[in-house]
Amino acid sequence: MSIPHTEQEFKIYALNEQAVTLVFGHEIHGTTASKISNFGRLLNSKPFMGFTNSVPAYTTLSIFYDVLRVMKSDLPGENGFDKVSNYLKSLKSNNQNDVSDASKLITLPVYYGGEYGPDLEEVSGITNFSIEELINLHCAATYKVYMIGFVPGFAYLGGMDERLASPRKLKPRAAVPAGSVGIAGKQTGVYPLETPGGWQIIGQTPLKMFDANRPQPSLLKAGDEVKFQSLSLQEFNDLRR
Amino acid sequence: MMEISFSKPGILTTVQDNGRKNYLDQAVPLSGTLDNLSARIANIAIGNHEDVASLEFTYAAAEFRAETDILIAYAGDGAFLIANGLKLPSERPVFLPAGTIIKLINNPEGATTYLSIAGGFDLPEALESKSTYLLGNFGGLDGRSLKTGDRLFNAENISSLSQSIIKSLKGTQISWPSWYIPRSYFLPADRNTIRIFPAEEFTWFNSDSIINFLSKDFSVGLNSNRMGIQISGNKISRRKQDELLSTAVCPGTIQVTGAGEMILLMADCQTTGGYPRIGQVAAVDLPLCAQLKPNDSLRFTEISRDDAEILYIAQEKELEKFKLAIESKF
Repeated sequence: MSIPHTEQEFKIYALNEQAVTLVFGHEIHGTTASKISNFGRLLNSKPFMGFTNSVPAYTTLSIFYDVLRVMKSDLPGENGFDKVSNYLKSLKSNNQNDVSDASKLITLPVYYGGEYGPDLEEVSGITNFSIEELINLHCAATYKVYMIGFVPGFAYLGGMDERLASPRKLKPRAAVPAGSVGIAGKQTGVYPLETPGGWQIIGQTPLKMFDANRPQPSLLKAGDEVKFQSLSLQEFNDLRR
Repeated sequence: MMEISFSKPGILTTVQDNGRKNYLDQAVPLSGTLDNLSARIANIAIGNHEDVASLEFTYAAAEFRAETDILIAYAGDGAFLIANGLKLPSERPVFLPAGTIIKLINNPEGATTYLSIAGGFDLPEALESKSTYLLGNFGGLDGRSLKTGDRLFNAENISSLSQSIIKSLKGTQISWPSWYIPRSYFLPADRNTIRIFPAEEFTWFNSDSIINFLSKDFSVGLNSNRMGIQISGNKISRRKQDELLSTAVCPGTIQVTGAGEMILLMADCQTTGGYPRIGQVAAVDLPLCAQLKPNDSLRFTEISRDDAEILYIAQEKELEKFKLAIESKF
């Protein structure tokens, strides 16, 4: 299937002297997320001189650069912002492979309940689902990683069954262990580091969501898809070793 | 080889370089020096690459010993360095013979001070940077701040310029040259007025709040740290109540919380945020913010985004001239 490529559809503003933000939409939407990841991949395959990193978010892609290197480039424009803006506006795909969907499906094994999911029963009470139904519903959905933010490796996931929505804890915990799987409002997510937190904790994954010693420290990246899989305590303990 | 050992670690002392630029998309903060002007001046003064890791001291109270002969430089307004009863001059190379004990005493002017050693500190990189990120427990010295007994070494491949500077100063006494890199040359006379340009949600705030933002005095709150500076004073109210979906933020971004309080994000800030943003501090004025202490007063004044970029590029060119001037001396 061919996708017609016209001018890029985004608004652009300066974040600081060495970063711009491209706005692709105004609400959380799969189409907007796809435009953002496609543009991010296109830029990575055709970077401009001085480009350093791009940060996808719900409706935006922010592009960081070294303005001194940009000024040395022959891109048209009076200043760094103009040069980068002009380049980004002109950036088009000549090759479908540039924008092929590279999203990965990552399965996160989780032990639900017990000491690793101290709020599972409370969430069961709030949602009127049995523990088993709750776990099944949480594992049934395929979640989309919209962005990584808040703390290193924290994935903002979309796609939770809205019937699982539960309010935050009245009193946040001083320390939620790394790997804890939680629900807050209509969101679900995994704590990558031990931090204070107010989410309802329903389980824990033995996987390291963030590890500064890996080449890609965050297990998940924007654009990835995620499924949860229920583990027995035995399997959880084996995987933790 | 150069070695220093700490008998007092100070209030908060961390290893910082120019930050971790390549992992923002994985929500790893930039980190790095809060006052990159001072840190770079300290590095340039001893012939280091300007971006190598230095020690960032918050206020004073640290004490260390030169275990070997060392060539250091320091810059910043949080502390003065004292050795053998002498106040060591900042912003220039200082040679200290083995056995010298160096104390940091309070400088009421500011908050942070940077110490560089010839060659930079010899520590492993974490995610392509030596910057310490305390929340993530990585970077710097085992991902933590310095403690009593820590020993730090320089990286041994020191530049030929550093070697020449050492040769010119080396002896049995503390010594330094008459030249220095005047940091004040780069800074405005009024160090409490911070230049900003309007951020994307600037027009979400009502006109009274915008007038207050750009005319009233504010003060630095007690809950200020490497992540951000809490700005106390007139509350900022909104005219537009839209919800902002989380998007990228960076050091210098001024967010306004639901309670109408401003937070000026600093080096260890989160990579994304959902509070509307009223302004972005000009990069050249972030070093001024880094020197602010709780209860210090500050004001904001507006410049254009284009001017902020021009100021930044001009500052970098001036720094480059000082580098060349030092190189031409040796």
